[in-house]
Amino acid sequence: MNKEVLIIGGGPAGLECASTLLMFGYKVFIVEKGSELGGHLRKWDRLFPESISASETLERLLIPSKKAIVFDETEVSSVKLKDGFFDIILSDNTELHVHSVVVATGFKLFPAEKKEEYGYGVYNRVITNADLEASFKNNSRDILQSKRVGFVHCVGSRDEKISNRHCSKVCCVTAVKQACEFKEANPDAEIYCFYMDLRMFGRGYEDLYLKAQNKYGIRFIRGRVSEVAENVDGELVIKAEDTLISRPLKVTLDLLVLMSGMSKNPDNDQLADMLGLDIAEDGFFVQHDPTINSIKSKIKGIFFAGTVTGPKTIPETLNEARSAALAVHKYLSE
Amino acid sequence: MNNFGYSISPSSRIDLDKRDNDKFTRIVLLEPGFRKCMACGLCSSTCSGANFTDVSLRRAIEMIQDGQEKSAIVLLKGCMLCGKCNIICPRGINTRNLIRNILKVYMEELQ
Amino acid sequence: MKERFLFGYDPFVLPFTLGMVFIILYLLVGTARIIISLTHEEQISLLKSLKPKQLFKTIKDVITDCLLHIKIFKRNPLLGYMHFSIAFGWFMLIVVGHIEVMLYTPQRNGILYYPVFFRYFVMETQQTLRGAFFFFLMDLFLLMVLSGIALAIFKRFRSRALGMRRTTKLKIGDTFALYSLWAIFPLRLLAESFTADISGGSFLTKSINHLVHGFVSNPDNALPIWWCYSIALGVFLFALPFSRYMHIPTEILLIFLRNAGIKATSFRNGYAEAEIYSCSRCGICIDACPMGVNLGDIKFSTVYTIRLLRKRENALEGAEKCLMCNKCVEVCPVGINSTQLKLLYRQSFNDTGDHDFSYLSPQNIKHNKEKILYYAGCMTHLAPAIYLSLFKILKKAGIEYNFMDADGSICCGRPLMLSGDFKGASQLIDKNKDIILNSGCTTLLLSCPICYKVFREEYNLQGIEVVHHSVYINDLLNSGKIKVDRVHESFVFHDPCELGRGSNIYNEPRELLSSIGTLKNSPEEKGESICCGGSLGSLTMQYERRKRITEHSLSMLYTNNPDTLVTACPLCLKTFSPVNSKRTVDIAQVVSEHLI
Repeated sequence: MNKEVLIIGGGPAGLECASTLLMFGYKVFIVEKGSELGGHLRKWDRLFPESISASETLERLLIPSKKAIVFDETEVSSVKLKDGFFDIILSDNTELHVHSVVVATGFKLFPAEKKEEYGYGVYNRVITNADLEASFKNNSRDILQSKRVGFVHCVGSRDEKISNRHCSKVCCVTAVKQACEFKEANPDAEIYCFYMDLRMFGRGYEDLYLKAQNKYGIRFIRGRVSEVAENVDGELVIKAEDTLISRPLKVTLDLLVLMSGMSKNPDNDQLADMLGLDIAEDGFFVQHDPTINSIKSKIKGIFFAGTVTGPKTIPETLNEARSAALAVHKYLSE
Repeated sequence: MNNFGYSISPSSRIDLDKRDNDKFTRIVLLEPGFRKCMACGLCSSTCSGANFTDVSLRRAIEMIQDGQEKSAIVLLKGCMLCGKCNIICPRGINTRNLIRNILKVYMEELQ
Repeated sequence: MKERFLFGYDPFVLPFTLGMVFIILYLLVGTARIIISLTHEEQISLLKSLKPKQLFKTIKDVITDCLLHIKIFKRNPLLGYMHFSIAFGWFMLIVVGHIEVMLYTPQRNGILYYPVFFRYFVMETQQTLRGAFFFFLMDLFLLMVLSGIALAIFKRFRSRALGMRRTTKLKIGDTFALYSLWAIFPLRLLAESFTADISGGSFLTKSINHLVHGFVSNPDNALPIWWCYSIALGVFLFALPFSRYMHIPTEILLIFLRNAGIKATSFRNGYAEAEIYSCSRCGICIDACPMGVNLGDIKFSTVYTIRLLRKRENALEGAEKCLMCNKCVEVCPVGINSTQLKLLYRQSFNDTGDHDFSYLSPQNIKHNKEKILYYAGCMTHLAPAIYLSLFKILKKAGIEYNFMDADGSICCGRPLMLSGDFKGASQLIDKNKDIILNSGCTTLLLSCPICYKVFREEYNLQGIEVVHHSVYINDLLNSGKIKVDRVHESFVFHDPCELGRGSNIYNEPRELLSSIGTLKNSPEEKGESICCGGSLGSLTMQYERRKRITEHSLSMLYTNNPDTLVTACPLCLKTFSPVNSKRTVDIAQVVSEHLI
């Protein structure tokens, strides 16, 4: 079976899909926009709920996919569908002639500077969840020594004003994980999580939440942060509300972590045009049959895998990737 | 019912059956966004008036939905209509219109 | 020339004459009513404005606005010509007609209908140069009016050719007046042509006369046409008070009142009545209104709201939905301040005194030596980057300042005022005024144009200079107190409604941006900039509709592909930023990023 498959996107979904397809004996191409494979996973430190190492996980995904032919720092320039083949031209002028395409281009983290009231990019002590993961990875003492830390949930999610009405699913449990990890790195830290709803939907998540309260003494405040200001000493002054007792609240913090959500990947617009697919209002690809067959697209031979069709956890992404590979196999066997 | 010589004070328990549905329906007609509120608290958190006194749209909405209109009015009278809650509401509710209409509809009764 | 008929009268003149008498009485009564309803001071101002120098200016304004329609010419030459040709042509027909009567049949001077039906009642006895000249003039002006009428009819079908996407939807009074107006001049042409061989004529009337000569050799055949002409005039004059054409006489009164400095203080009476009747329903405001992006909101354009006010019907929905962006006021060729009317209308419903601000206890600002008092305002707190950038600039310039509302603002009061609640707003104004006057400052620095407008116009801060940060920073740059880098970035500046049309500040922000990078234009800017949609003026507009306005405004701003969108208003910033995929930034941020 030397039929050829193109996977657009070299993140966890793309890698796992590639591994499975290679196992079936197909020739696999991966087109990756960035300079390295791994997507967002490469930048993370540890994964919820058990805090396993992200880099080790990435290694485990990279090894079985080594036989795939990777085009890094490359994008898809044009796609033509002809006689059941996809004629693809890449941005480095390579021409590919494949039988099936898997779209695994993932998501973009919401640019937190768009929420001007939080002052990201303006105040030094306001960072995002991605910045914090990097701090954990690099053991940035400067960040990790902060004594009073706040986490703001739902930044860029569940927000009509920035056209992201959806919930990004994983940020709540990520916040709880990061809060626990912070407390481990700095046992003297006072940590607050400002949430709207606490979405602890997965297996082991509620236990993580319990651990956060019981073992680490993390304070969960139900209410949103509306404004962040800086006082004369450079500390952050947070304005929020404790909705459970219905009183406005103010607190001075040394560090504020904004939980940026999963947002639309703007490159997907052009890709959707080229492939003849649609993007829904929430910025993710439209699924043809979301309940029974979440990886199916409206074009025969094109499949989805991963967060390109909506926020997901890594286990869900990997499962979808394998499912997409199976669908490709079924399609190419007909 | 037997008289034990004391009774449970009724004021602290909300009785949803006693809610005034007519006024509530009027408000929803005047400002349909009323129903969208998910009580996230951004409005009360950012409120200009809340800096000085008790002003809270989120609490007022909750109170009206629970039939506590008089308490709700008290929470909105101090509103300066500055519009910060309007800009910041993640559900896109027209909060200023809601506040004006709540005051209009419920204060009629007090007149 | 001599008269054809002994008494200079025929029953056919009756429809016109009765109509004329009716209209003259109506106008006299109406003018008297309006002037009586003015306050004593306003009446004195009106009298004072009749002094020769001012009177001269007023008459000049009447000529440029009512006759020449200069403002409409500037919008679109064809549209301007259409209005001009009808107004000016008709005016000249009347004037020259009266001159003809004075010259040829002076015994009929003062008879209302005589100049109008001159060519029926006279007979040309000898062809003189003077006679030919007057005939030529009359025919020329008639042709001018006819060309205007033709354009007006064309505009009903192809309005885009005259630069208007949408035209006003007419109601019954308007349709009667419109069709009779359209009929008047063709009928006049026919009537004068039919009698041209007797009364004389020129290139137009004589030519048509030759064409129909066989039919009209019998002068009795001409009479029915003269009847039709008179009836058309009569219908028009009777329909006038119930139609848009009331603007013809009313606009003259309006210009007199306006030049006397009188403004509207009620939404329906006095000056407002003159404004409302001066609305010609030209429909230019419909295209200008940003709400028109949502098709269902076109019916709330200013022209329709004014029509409801005129008929004394409930105009609340449109009046409360209006963004108060003032673009309709900017483009109105008559200069009606419709925003003020809507505001007064809101006041009549909403000035209830429901709000209670007694909880604002006197706030004390330490009376310190800093002469600059900075007031962020409610909205700027949602975009702290603005004041942080401003403080960086002030620090670089070595200027000390005091941050008045660092812990939270007492709202400036303008949002309350825009909702019509003047009583509530004045409570807030008093509290803030206390703080400002007791602070000992000499300059009040603002970063929000909404605050800027109200501090400048309503607060009456004697001895304190109220300045917007874009102007202040520009001054700092011009006086050398700060220096900026030049970069290869292109900017487009969005004129906030309250800063541009609201306070007439258009150039300083542009000067500032041009010193840093390249300033690009957008098709509708300065006085015609499109509201961002964030408007605190609109009380009832829902978010989805505002978003479409924002998207439209944004797409116009990006017409010439700038790198960065620059605003000078925190509300505009918070409205554009989420919808704009590119960078949106305040002018203070731009300057602070490029300080040397």
